[in-house]
Amino acid sequence: MTAAAVAVPATGEGLAARRALRDARIRGVAFAVLGVIAVYLATSSFAIPASFSLWIQQQGGDSAVLQTTVGTLWVVAAVGSAIVAALQLIRGAAFRWRPWLFVVIAPWLLALLANLLSGKPAILTNVIAGSLELATPIAMAALAGILSERSGMLNIALEGKMLIGAFTASVVSSLVYITTGNVLLATIVGVAAAMAAAGLTGLLLAWLGIRHKVDQIIAGTVINIGAIGITNFIFLRVLQHNTEFNSPPSVEPMRLPLLADLPVIGPILFSAKPYVYVGYILVIFLTYMIYRTRWGLRLRASGEKPAAAGTVGINVLAIRYRAIFFAGLISGLAGSYLSLATAGSFQMEMTAGKGFIGLAAMIFGAWHPIGAFFAALVFGFADAVQSLLSILGVGVAPQLLASVPYVVTIVVVAGVVGRVRGPASAGQPYEQG
Amino acid sequence: MRLELRDISKRFPGVLANDKISISADRGKVLGMLGENGAGKTTLMNILSGLYKPDSGQIFIDGEERVFNDPVGAIQAGVGMVHQHFMLVPVFDVVEAVALGAETVKDAVGTFDRAAARKRIVELSEQYKLDVDPDAKIQSLPVGVRQRVEIIKALYRHSDILVLDEPSAVLTPYETEELYTIIRSLAASGTTVIFITHKLNEVLEVADDIVVLRRGRVAGKADPKTATRQQLANMMVGRDVELIVPKGPAKPGEVVLHLEQVFVRDDRLEMAVNGVDLDVRAGEIVAIAGVQGNGQTELVEAITGLRSADSGSITIGGRHVEKSSPRGVSDLGVAHIPEDRGRDGLINPMTVAENYILDSYHKAPYSKNGVFDLKAVRERAAQGVKDFDIRTPSIDTTAGSLSGGNQQKVVVAREFSVPVQLVIAAQPTRGLDVGSIEYIHRRLVEQRDAGAAILIVSTELDEVLAVGDRIAVMFDGRIVGILTGDDATYENLGLLMGGASFGGGVAA
Repeated sequence: MTAAAVAVPATGEGLAARRALRDARIRGVAFAVLGVIAVYLATSSFAIPASFSLWIQQQGGDSAVLQTTVGTLWVVAAVGSAIVAALQLIRGAAFRWRPWLFVVIAPWLLALLANLLSGKPAILTNVIAGSLELATPIAMAALAGILSERSGMLNIALEGKMLIGAFTASVVSSLVYITTGNVLLATIVGVAAAMAAAGLTGLLLAWLGIRHKVDQIIAGTVINIGAIGITNFIFLRVLQHNTEFNSPPSVEPMRLPLLADLPVIGPILFSAKPYVYVGYILVIFLTYMIYRTRWGLRLRASGEKPAAAGTVGINVLAIRYRAIFFAGLISGLAGSYLSLATAGSFQMEMTAGKGFIGLAAMIFGAWHPIGAFFAALVFGFADAVQSLLSILGVGVAPQLLASVPYVVTIVVVAGVVGRVRGPASAGQPYEQG
Repeated sequence: MRLELRDISKRFPGVLANDKISISADRGKVLGMLGENGAGKTTLMNILSGLYKPDSGQIFIDGEERVFNDPVGAIQAGVGMVHQHFMLVPVFDVVEAVALGAETVKDAVGTFDRAAARKRIVELSEQYKLDVDPDAKIQSLPVGVRQRVEIIKALYRHSDILVLDEPSAVLTPYETEELYTIIRSLAASGTTVIFITHKLNEVLEVADDIVVLRRGRVAGKADPKTATRQQLANMMVGRDVELIVPKGPAKPGEVVLHLEQVFVRDDRLEMAVNGVDLDVRAGEIVAIAGVQGNGQTELVEAITGLRSADSGSITIGGRHVEKSSPRGVSDLGVAHIPEDRGRDGLINPMTVAENYILDSYHKAPYSKNGVFDLKAVRERAAQGVKDFDIRTPSIDTTAGSLSGGNQQKVVVAREFSVPVQLVIAAQPTRGLDVGSIEYIHRRLVEQRDAGAAILIVSTELDEVLAVGDRIAVMFDGRIVGILTGDDATYENLGLLMGGASFGGGVAA
C-alpha cells in the first residue's frame, strides 16, 4: 500500500481517484519494466565503446567528445527509469509524470542509438542540425495546416500543394537560370513561382470547399491525386528527356555572421540553409499574428464558431479564402525546399508523405505554431537518426530504417497525443446569410 | 432611442413570415413581444438586426429612416441583439468574445488592444452590475453568465436598442429573476429593450408594453398592468386555450414505480443522485421539481436503463430493472419522453415515419423475419400523425425540419402508440408554445385517467403545479420534500428548490 492509496476519500469522488491511482500504478510498473530491460541489455554490452561528439566551435573546429561504453549508457537508462518508476509508485496519482518522461526517454534514446551503431562514433551536432533541416518542411506544412484549420477548413491537400511547389520551383528556377545565369534570381523567382502555384491550388481547394461545399476531405484528396498525376506526367514526358529543365541551382547553407560562431548552438542553429531561418521567423510571426492581433482573433473565431463571427459582421468566408491562400503559399515554400535545397531537382512523388506528417505535427503541437515546430523536430529527429544509421551501415534493412519517421508519426498521433482538441468547426461549411 | 417599425413584410418561399407588422418602442421602455413558435418574431428581429432585408416596410430610429444592409449596419445604428443560441466563441475568454468584430488595434500589424477592451468590459460590468469576470473562459461559465456576456457584447458596441430573443429559455428561475433586474436597470439608464418570448409570465413581469404576434401579423397590443395571462394566451393562439388543463382528483392505485435508496453517478463519476426513495402509483401524476442539475437527469436515465445506478432498488410493476437495458425497460410498457428531444428523442435526419417506429421497428407489425413491412409502417405512422395532430407536410418529412411542438408530438405519439403502465416525461414542454403545452398536458392527464403511473420532471413551476398530483422537490440529489394540495405553492416550492427543508414535507 502506498501513501496515496490511504488518502483516497471514501466519498463520491472515490471512483475517479481509484482509476487515477490504478493508472499511476500501471505507469510505475511500466517504467520499472523499462529499467529491468535496460539492466539486461547493459550486461552484455560493456565491451562495446560508444562515442558521441559535439562541436564546440564551428564546423571542423574543437569538439567535445563523450567516450564511454554502450553498457554504461544502458546503466544510465536503467537508473533514469528506476528513479521515475520509484517516484511514480511512491507519489501515486499526484505525481506529475509527463516532464519526468525526459529522464527516461533521453538516456534510452542515446543507449539505443549507441547500441545500433555498435562501436561507430556518432556526431550529435550533425544529427541535431540534420533534424532541424529535415523538420523545416514538416514544420512549414504544419503551419499551413494550422492556418487553414484555425479558419475552419480542413487541409488534407498540403501534400499535393507541396508537390506542386516542389515541381514548379525546380522547373521555373531551372528556366530562369538557363536564361539569365543568375543563381540568386533563379532561386528567388523559382520559390516565388512555387508559392504562387501552391497558393492558386489552395484557392481551388477553397473554391470547392466553400463555394460548392464539397466535403473538404474529398476535395483535398482530389487535389493530392491530381497533383501526383500532373507532376508525374510532365516529369515522364518532358523533364526526363530534357534534364536541363530540372536542374535548378541548389540552395546552399548560409552562416549567419556572429551567431554562427557561438559555441554548440552556432553550428546547430545558425549555419543552416536559409529555409530554416525562414521557418524560425514564420513560427514566431504566426504565433504573434494568431494570438495577439485582430486578424488572429477573427481567424480563430471563424474556425471555432463561425456563426458568432458572422453575427458581428465578420466576413467568415473571406477569412477562410485568405487563410487557405496563405496556407498554400507556405506549403509551396515547403515544397520548393524539397526540390531546391534537398534533392537538387524534382523527383516523382518526392514529398513522400511530408504534408501528412506536417498535419500530424499540427495535431501533436495542439494547433499552436510553437508546439507544431517542436513536434516537427521530433519527426525530423527520427528522420535524421534514420539517415545516420543507414549512412553508417547498421545491420538493419534500409527499408525498415526508412519507415522510422512514419512509425514515430503513428506512435505519436495514436499514443502520446491523446486528447488534444482542434478548432471546433474545422471541416464544416458555413452558410453566410 | 425610439424605435419604430412600419409595415414590415417579409416573404419566404411558401410563407408570409411578416405581414405588414408595425410596432414601436420608446426610449427606456421594455417592449414585450409575445408569440408562438412560427409567429414571425424571429424573422422580424433578424430584419431589425440586419440579417434579413424586408420585402417592404421601413425602420425608423429616433424618427430617422434607417436601412440595414448587413449586421454591421444595424450595430452601427445602435441595435444590439442577444440571440437565443449564444453567439460566443467557447474557447475565447470574455474579453476576446466581447471584442470580436469591434476590436481596437494598437499598431500597423493590427495588434489587438486587449487592455483597452478589458477596461471597458470591467466598466460596463460594474455600471450595470453584471458581475462578469473578464478573464474567464466562455466555456467555463454557466449559461446565466454567458447571457450577461452577450448583453455586455451589445453594450460594448454602444447599443441603445437591445433585442433579447427568448432569453429565459436556458435559464433557471433564479437566473431569470436576475435577468429581469438587469433589464430594468438597462431600461432605467435609457436603453430600449425588446424582449421576445412565448412565456406569458415574463412579459407581464418585465414589459412596459406588450405586442402579440400571430401568423406573421400583429394580433393585438396589451398593457401589462391590466392584461391577464388568459387574454394574452388567447391572443397568441387565436382561440380560447386552457392554461391549466382541467383534471379530476387522482385515484391512486397500485405502486408501479418503486425507488428505494437509489444512488447514481454522473458522467464525471460524482454522485448525482444521493439515495432517492419514491413511489409512483397507477392513476397519479408525480412531478419532480427542482433547478436543473440536481440529479433529475441522472435519476431519469437510471429508471429508463440509459445509465446504471450505483446502488439501490428500482422496480417497475414489481420487476427489478436495475440491470435492464433501455429496450428491456421499454418492453415493460414504459413510455419515455426524454429531456433533450433533439438528442435522445428523435433522429433528426430520419423521417417522421421512421422516428415513429424507433422503439418497436423490430417487432410485429413493422418487421417480419427481419424485413420491414413498409405498408404497415406507413399506415401506422399516418394514423399516429392523424391521432396526435402532428402538423407535417407528410410522414416522409425529416423530423428535424418540424417545429419544436410537432417534434415533441412525434415523440409522444410514438411513446403512446403501445399500451403503457408508466410514463417518464422529462421536461416534456421545454421550448414549446402555449398551444402545444396545452396539448401535451392534456395527453398526460388522459394517460393518468386511463390508469398509467406518470412521473414528470420539470424545472417550470407552472408546469409542476398545473399537472402534478404530488410534487417532489429534488435538491442536491435528494428528494427534500413532497408537497400535495394546499402546501403546493410557489413559495414553498421555491424554498425547497433552494435547499431549505419544509415542515410539512417528508425530509429525506
